[in-house]
Amino acid sequence: MDERVIPWQPTVIAGPKQALLVTPETAEMMIQKAKRPLLVIGPLINDSPAQTLSTKIAEKWDIPMVSTGDAFKSLSEADVQSRAYGLVEIVNLLKDPDWEGLKGDGQHDLVLFVGVLYYMGSQGLSTLKHFAPHIKTLTICRFFHSNADASFPNMNEGEWLKYLEKLAK
Amino acid sequence: MQLIKIYGDILENKSKAKELKDDFWKSKEIKIITGNIVDETQEDVPESAGPTLKPNVTDLREWDMKLLERYEPFYAPFCDMCCLCTYGKCDLTKGKKGACGIDIEAQQARTVLLACCIGSAAHSGHARHLLEYLIDKHGKELPIDLGMNIDIEAPIMRVVLGKHPKNLGDLKDGLNYLEEQMVHLLSACHTGQEGKSVDFESKALHAGLMDNLGKEIGDLAQIVALNMPKGEDAPLVELGMGSVKKEKPIVLCIGHNVAPGAGIIDYMEDQELEDDVEVCGICCAALDITRYNSRAKVVGPMSKQLKFVRSGVADVVVVDEQCVRTDILEEARKNRACVITTTDKICLGLPDMTHADPDIIVRKLVNDEVEGVLIQDPDKVGEVATRVALKISKERKSIKKLPNLEEIQEMSKECTQCGWCIRVCPNSLNMKEAVEGAMESNFTKFQELYENDVCYTCGRCEQECEVDLPLISMLTKVGEHYVKNEKYNVRAGRGPVQDVEIRRVGAPLVLGDIPGVIAFVGCSNYPEGADDVAKMAEEFLERNYIVVTSGCGAMSIGEYRDEEGKTLYERYSGDFDAKGLVNVGSCVSNAHIPGACIKIANIFAKKPLEGNFQEIADYILNRVGACGVAWGAFSQKAAAIATGINRWGIPVVVGPHGTKYRRLFLGRADKTEKWRVNDLRAGKVMEGEPAPEHLLYAAENREEATVAIVKLCIRPTDTTKGRQIKLNNYIDLHKKYFGTIPHDIYKFVRTEKDIPITYKKEVLKILEDDEWEPKAILQEPSLMDFKEEIVSGGK
Repeated sequence: MDERVIPWQPTVIAGPKQALLVTPETAEMMIQKAKRPLLVIGPLINDSPAQTLSTKIAEKWDIPMVSTGDAFKSLSEADVQSRAYGLVEIVNLLKDPDWEGLKGDGQHDLVLFVGVLYYMGSQGLSTLKHFAPHIKTLTICRFFHSNADASFPNMNEGEWLKYLEKLAK
Repeated sequence: MQLIKIYGDILENKSKAKELKDDFWKSKEIKIITGNIVDETQEDVPESAGPTLKPNVTDLREWDMKLLERYEPFYAPFCDMCCLCTYGKCDLTKGKKGACGIDIEAQQARTVLLACCIGSAAHSGHARHLLEYLIDKHGKELPIDLGMNIDIEAPIMRVVLGKHPKNLGDLKDGLNYLEEQMVHLLSACHTGQEGKSVDFESKALHAGLMDNLGKEIGDLAQIVALNMPKGEDAPLVELGMGSVKKEKPIVLCIGHNVAPGAGIIDYMEDQELEDDVEVCGICCAALDITRYNSRAKVVGPMSKQLKFVRSGVADVVVVDEQCVRTDILEEARKNRACVITTTDKICLGLPDMTHADPDIIVRKLVNDEVEGVLIQDPDKVGEVATRVALKISKERKSIKKLPNLEEIQEMSKECTQCGWCIRVCPNSLNMKEAVEGAMESNFTKFQELYENDVCYTCGRCEQECEVDLPLISMLTKVGEHYVKNEKYNVRAGRGPVQDVEIRRVGAPLVLGDIPGVIAFVGCSNYPEGADDVAKMAEEFLERNYIVVTSGCGAMSIGEYRDEEGKTLYERYSGDFDAKGLVNVGSCVSNAHIPGACIKIANIFAKKPLEGNFQEIADYILNRVGACGVAWGAFSQKAAAIATGINRWGIPVVVGPHGTKYRRLFLGRADKTEKWRVNDLRAGKVMEGEPAPEHLLYAAENREEATVAIVKLCIRPTDTTKGRQIKLNNYIDLHKKYFGTIPHDIYKFVRTEKDIPITYKKEVLKILEDDEWEPKAILQEPSLMDFKEEIVSGGK
């Protein structure tokens, strides 16, 4: 069980602060509580069932989406709207408390990450951990991210898809 | 006869007369004043010299702050703590400060400065080694002569020191200056010194500039003293693991300093052994040896290091400095290869036999009396390495170096399928799957990891394996067996860009007709294999960009073939012109890339160089559409290279691993006030454009990087024709990789004439939706001298 909460790439452990391990139920509570959530979706899940489930989660909770890398094209082809930003660009905007947010109604208070390159995502989460106290971060990848505020554990593909299905229902 | 005078205003030493014995010196009115002796025939610094000759640590701070205001540092801490002093470890999370008072931002910037100091010192230490050796060999009077087509022989040195080096001895002044600067910069990292992140960053930028200078000195010295190509077309040389003739005795050079490799070539030529012994190299030493003698072979970038050494092909491994595996001795000894270390940077606990008789050294190595030796004399290295290779090669051929395929299958069955090989891999590559396949005698997945250096053989998987499977040896064997035709080519490094080439391309580059200069530099820490770099280079070559390359990037580009089996070096010329693929050489040759941009400012725009850093950098930032790409940057040297390039106003894109450097320089296109410029011709402050939008940017994958790079070549002074070309590329590539016209296109359209004809209708629709209004085209934008607050935007 311990292996589920050791960061997927173990050496990204940065210090004493570790993410909270969450289940789909806890993740749902976090989303419900948020006023202006955002989903950042990366290219690792292009054209996959995980991408479909992630967009369903966004649809269910009316969460605007930012696509990173070249995920925009894959989403567009699936008729899913997103706004393309580089991962470091969106993180840079998120750390600014005065940014107007994707919809122009104010900075986001919860950001979900999925499908972003693991170690780069970890660096982005570190930025938000240190410099964006106004934001909570939640990763719904199949890898445990210690730099997030809350994260799914390390899982195999099948278990992860079940987690995403629960969150999308 | 030369006139000599003594200047007393430099260093005044009033000697005490009574300490001197001769009566003459007892005269009361005599003062002895000493100072530097100046040769008046030496060219003086011109009266027009700018304000920053030999800038000290804070002399370019004003320029740095201008850059940092527009491109604010973006920090991604790799570690939440500081563990540099015994107060620590200090936890810097949640806004907490360490025991010394440092906060997380300053600590990141401090770490970046430290990395830049290390990187810069590596290049400059290398340059110092090389220069002293070459002066010793050829004399300090050896002229710096780059031929008829290059007058500006050392653009960086001219700007920074105001000096036109005439001979090898003159280059020492540059090293003396930068070594002093480096001491101050490194000292600022000590606990209780600098405390603000922006000032750490200013110092990092200074370390980067010193890195530029050190590299220029190192490369100039080796070009003139070793008669390397001087900006002229260079030959194609053989590249790839398959290019090495395994039946011959083989000497492998790893690292960056050409001197030992040149010593080997010289000895072989003197003894007429060129056809009897094979000399090959890995990393920049390989590139520089081929600049010295094109018969040498380039095995490839540093990603080949472990697998080539494991293959046991090399009889003698000669290492010099930088990017050498620190366990090279252990790895080489696994198959009884001899190791010779050659500089004070890498001694590996070996006996120093620099002054020993070569016969004795050869005997000790051949008889295994020593594991290896340290020889800090390149000529002696040449003799010993060659003789040892000749003696041990035959016997070593019978040593079994790698497991055979049947053994790999058996070993694979030991795998516990724990999966930790995947988790510790920097790119999370699926080594477990490859091993599972091998259990069934299916080596396809191993083969996929081997090809294109998808696995760059760092060896972390082996370290983690709970049953100690030799995974890299298994990978190497599979590659050796299945991957055929690993023979490619690379154009030997040509060194600097010629002044005549700058005259030819200066105008089209500044006006935008040639859409940009894109430089692929740096190491091989690629996220998805080496061919990503070549594919990007190909994309830009097809679109008329000038593509420059160096180091491991240059080798990775050479390892890619098109459908007809041709490499990019075979398809494109080595001219510094549109569709030119210019390999400048090794890491130290990177200096020629900012050097070319500086020459554009001087030759095309007539900007004086000497002591004029800010004006030159301001010009480059606003007018020269250049962009660096360090897709596989991993080292501290790469940090120094990128930071140095940034200070000249040239943006750099790094791969995703680049975020681990902890700091990027990102612009905010949504904040219009950040992009205001002083239009010197209009005489007022104007609304500008986010061009270039970022100064140091990390992309997640090749597709994102490709689009980002073309965008970063846009400059405020592009003509409408030039802007059309650049926007056409931006839209084309965005459509290719993202499927649409970029949402921020309106930010780069100043007038309707900027819109590429092919996309006019679609872009006009976007402009209409964004309530776009035409903007004035800036004539002479500058970040300096904001004397008024009036901001003018529209026409």
